[in-house]
Amino acid sequence: MKRLSSILLWPINTSEKLAEYFLFTYRKMLLIFFLLATVFFTWQASHIRPDASFVKMIPAQHPFVENYIRYKDDLAGLGNSIRVVVAAKDGDIFSAEFQSTLKQVTDELFFIPGVDRSALKSIWTPNVRWTEVTEDGFVGGPVIPAKYDGSKESLEWVRTNILRSGQVGILVGNDFRSAMVQVPLFDKDPETGEKLNYKAFSALLETLVRDKYSSDTVSIHITGFAKIVGDLIDGAFEVALFFAIAFVITMVLLYLYSGSVMGTIIPLVCSLAAVIWQLGILNLLGYGIDPYSMLVPFLVFAIAVSHGVQIVNTITLESAINGAEKLPAAKHAFKTIYIPGLTALISDGIGFITLMVIEIQVIQDLAVAASIGVAVIILTNLMLLPLLMSYVGVGRNAIAKAKRGIEKKNSHWHLLSVFATKKGAIVAVLVAIGLAVLGLYGSKGLQIGDLDVGAPELRADSRYNIDNHFITSNYSTSSDVFVVMVSTPEEHCSRYETLALVDRFQFYLRNVSGVQSSISLVDVSERVTAGLNEGSLKWRSVIRNQYVINASLSYVPAGLMNSSCSLLPVIIFLDDHKAETLKAVTVAVDRFAAEYETDEITFNMAAGKAGFEAATNEVIEMAQYEMLIWVYSVVSFLCLLTFRSLRTVVCIIAPLVLTSILCQALMAKLGIGVKVATLPVIALGVGIGVDYGIYIYSKMQTYLQQGHSLPAAYLETLQSTGKSVAFTGLTLAIGVILWTLSPIKFQADMGVLLTFMFIWNMLGALILLPAIACLLHPKEAVIETAD
Amino acid sequence: MSNITFSYSVIFGCLLTLSQWIWADRLFQPAIEQAAPERSLLLAISRAGDRLVAAGEQGVIIYSDDEALTWQQARVPSSTLLTAVHFFGKQTGWAVGHDGVVLHTQDGGQSWVMQLDGAKVNQLRVDAVTAELQYQRSLETVDPERLENLGYQLDDAKAALDGVPSTPLLDLFFVDAQTGYAVGAYGLFLVTHDGGQHWRYKGQILPNPDSLHLNRIIKTKQGRLLILGEAGLLMQSEDKGENWQAIDLPYQGSFFSTVEADDGLYLMGLRGTVLKRSVDNEGVTVWDYVDSGLTATINDSVIIGHHAYLVGQGGALLKKQGDSFEPFLQRGLRSYSAVESVGHYLVVVGEGGVSRIDVSGGAGK
Repeated sequence: MKRLSSILLWPINTSEKLAEYFLFTYRKMLLIFFLLATVFFTWQASHIRPDASFVKMIPAQHPFVENYIRYKDDLAGLGNSIRVVVAAKDGDIFSAEFQSTLKQVTDELFFIPGVDRSALKSIWTPNVRWTEVTEDGFVGGPVIPAKYDGSKESLEWVRTNILRSGQVGILVGNDFRSAMVQVPLFDKDPETGEKLNYKAFSALLETLVRDKYSSDTVSIHITGFAKIVGDLIDGAFEVALFFAIAFVITMVLLYLYSGSVMGTIIPLVCSLAAVIWQLGILNLLGYGIDPYSMLVPFLVFAIAVSHGVQIVNTITLESAINGAEKLPAAKHAFKTIYIPGLTALISDGIGFITLMVIEIQVIQDLAVAASIGVAVIILTNLMLLPLLMSYVGVGRNAIAKAKRGIEKKNSHWHLLSVFATKKGAIVAVLVAIGLAVLGLYGSKGLQIGDLDVGAPELRADSRYNIDNHFITSNYSTSSDVFVVMVSTPEEHCSRYETLALVDRFQFYLRNVSGVQSSISLVDVSERVTAGLNEGSLKWRSVIRNQYVINASLSYVPAGLMNSSCSLLPVIIFLDDHKAETLKAVTVAVDRFAAEYETDEITFNMAAGKAGFEAATNEVIEMAQYEMLIWVYSVVSFLCLLTFRSLRTVVCIIAPLVLTSILCQALMAKLGIGVKVATLPVIALGVGIGVDYGIYIYSKMQTYLQQGHSLPAAYLETLQSTGKSVAFTGLTLAIGVILWTLSPIKFQADMGVLLTFMFIWNMLGALILLPAIACLLHPKEAVIETAD
Repeated sequence: MSNITFSYSVIFGCLLTLSQWIWADRLFQPAIEQAAPERSLLLAISRAGDRLVAAGEQGVIIYSDDEALTWQQARVPSSTLLTAVHFFGKQTGWAVGHDGVVLHTQDGGQSWVMQLDGAKVNQLRVDAVTAELQYQRSLETVDPERLENLGYQLDDAKAALDGVPSTPLLDLFFVDAQTGYAVGAYGLFLVTHDGGQHWRYKGQILPNPDSLHLNRIIKTKQGRLLILGEAGLLMQSEDKGENWQAIDLPYQGSFFSTVEADDGLYLMGLRGTVLKRSVDNEGVTVWDYVDSGLTATINDSVIIGHHAYLVGQGGALLKKQGDSFEPFLQRGLRSYSAVESVGHYLVVVGEGGVSRIDVSGGAGK
């Protein structure tokens, strides 16, 4: 072990000497280099672009998504569309004024770039028709009669035609007080080939539709994926404001803590440099910023500040105790902090890298961004910072303040050192075990996936979700859509065998709890067959005669089959998108497929919003344990390398495990599911949380080696670094606690959980670590008896 | 692999393929058990004593012993759309549906067996038309038109043998526990005299040369049988279905149901058309249009006391008041297919399943 670790740690140990030599020999040259690099990265960072793509948020390797991508072009009509509802505030839709607004909104949407104009639908578009069977056959026409003039009679015709068109609950609200425009979108503009710009599109909807037509009598409600993404991008940038606030608060706290102007400004500048470098490198590597990686700069800043504090603290103490000059003090600080700092940052970085096991692009991007961030901190805060401090020093005030602190010697830290004595340790460990049991019990209710209705990315009271609620409560189609793609050989999708099997499938689905209804080509065939037989319900079935079937499918609405007739999507509407519901559906589909699938007819999951959520949930459910195992193994291994003692590893890791358990219980309690946004939190929490343990234990080890008893060594540790550890916890918490104010729900969730983890990890390191150390009697603690 | 194992696996494989072929057809697939079968598309409802039995899509048959409050799903060996159900007495009943299926129960509708399927119907039809053709040819005075028509019918029937199992059956009626009739699309007409053990095809004896759909068969109070069909077709039999006469009507649309009220017989046609039969001063039967105030097809009716209630497309719900039909309660949102009564409730089935409507005022599930 010893040899292995010395081999593995060789680069770190050697790099320390090397770095020290270079750093303090070529100070000016390096300063210029850092300056130029920062200028360059600032320029790069200023070009970083927002990047919210749908495919990145879903697990691309999952078979569901692979199936979707295979059939994507055929599913076009199903995919991306928005729904715009024009609602009358008082009265109903049968007024000339309302109809004129509806017409204008329809026209307005028609001309917005990115809209699939041929498929746009409202009662004002000619593709929405009514039909009726008479003794002479079918009659029909557009819902708005050709002679419409806004008069009472013509409005009465509109009412009759709407009833005959069967659009109540689809294009017209169930209460006749609102009407919908369905707006299918092109992902890529067929003329220019350009990708849809969600931000611009969403902004156009606001200015050209919502702002223009909202009035005292009419309200506008908009839902759809494009709108969610637009709102997400807008919301994500509000977070930038929080960054400014966090910066100011950190500055004030830093000054209060260090009492040094330079000791405040330099760490802030270096940490800011870290953020700029990180963003610059991301842009250089071709990454953009999405609503998830948006949060990484906060983390990087907070981590950077916390390491900066350690260095400033060491310089101050060195100057205060040994009266060292600026340069030697900085050198000493570098020497003291470099190895634990590097170990801590490497474990942070590797902790983040373990997120790569989750095959969802946004999480992987987040992992990359965060890892780059901590790598950059090694340069900016472990190297640049002592370099700068060697010029400016911490200042006399700070040194004087530190001296006073040392002389006092007293302090409340005594209270904490109780936990390094046997009695206190037993109590602390028992309480911890109790908490762990409670936590395990409490985390039983932890669910996978998103639990809230509507768009879970946004807050329940966001305008989007209010709009969504309006639409789901006034229209008959749910927004939680799960699509099963039934595939057949070409030209077989409308064969009797296929339709009869899909008919049975849809009937079978009705038994699945959470399934509201489903539609497919089968419904078209059945309804039209009944229609061709004078509307008689007794004919609402798939008829065995292929000619009858073909006649019934002479007009098929877009999206229910592909052009080569080898794909037949079954669109399933769900009550909600809870993990349980999605699971029930996937299990049911699998079971049906296992029993009825033939060589020719296969049932492939899954497209639709709920389909992707099901895929995401499956990936997350599997990845959550895999990720935990990885992050804990890696961090434990690093600790083992550094401290070469299994007991020490237990001392450092056990508090983190407790925090992870409690965090899961908290998630269960707050109704936050394990999802794309919250899964990284554990890895981030553990990765960063281990820093505290490493700093405290390495300091304590020094004192133990000097011959102190465990409680004494611990008290010394607290007096020298306890304050900075507590301060670190605080700065980290400040960095993330503001996220809870984000308009984006998952950012808020991440904020709550990270704050919780940072603070508990800190408490764990301050209380539980010495307690476990005391009980486990690692070799150093034996000295206690000899004392 | 040894030869024995090999041949076993071949035989087993064949059996498997065979069974898959049979079981993959909805005609022979047992109905899927549903958590809420009463919300299925239901087309027919009938009384079996105090019990209500309803049938509909995917072989769903449900029964209720508590006035339509709760329902159980019956065991049914087929998954086709069932269009009609009829009971004679408390225990014995039949149901018919698409693919020529005839189902039979002897335990009040809890479990069903298949008496007939479409492939057999096709064979019955060929046999019956062949026999009729031979008989017609053997007659002294041959009717060439009739022969030609029968020839076409036989061609159709023979073609169907290689094709799909039969066209849909749309209604049935049993005059007693032994004698029953089933009617269906394209002039399909089946008769049994032994409770459904054996059925015979009798479509060739109907005055229905164009093979129009037969939508309904009923027995009037005077004991006549009436078959209502497509395009103004109405046929009557006064001898238990041995001979049938077509009746001329002033309306050439399809008929779907009848009401035999105190003041006479009403025929319900497409788009709210209602014809009333009466006898004028000279003793001639006349058919008069009655305004139903509705443009939706009436699918079924039930009489409670002296009042007739009618249900139909688009949730139409009418009550016959004297000579006129008045909308009753609020119009539903979904189409109704059939209606029964229990106590002072109407039990209506159709799209979306069972509705229970209080006729003494107020509607409810």
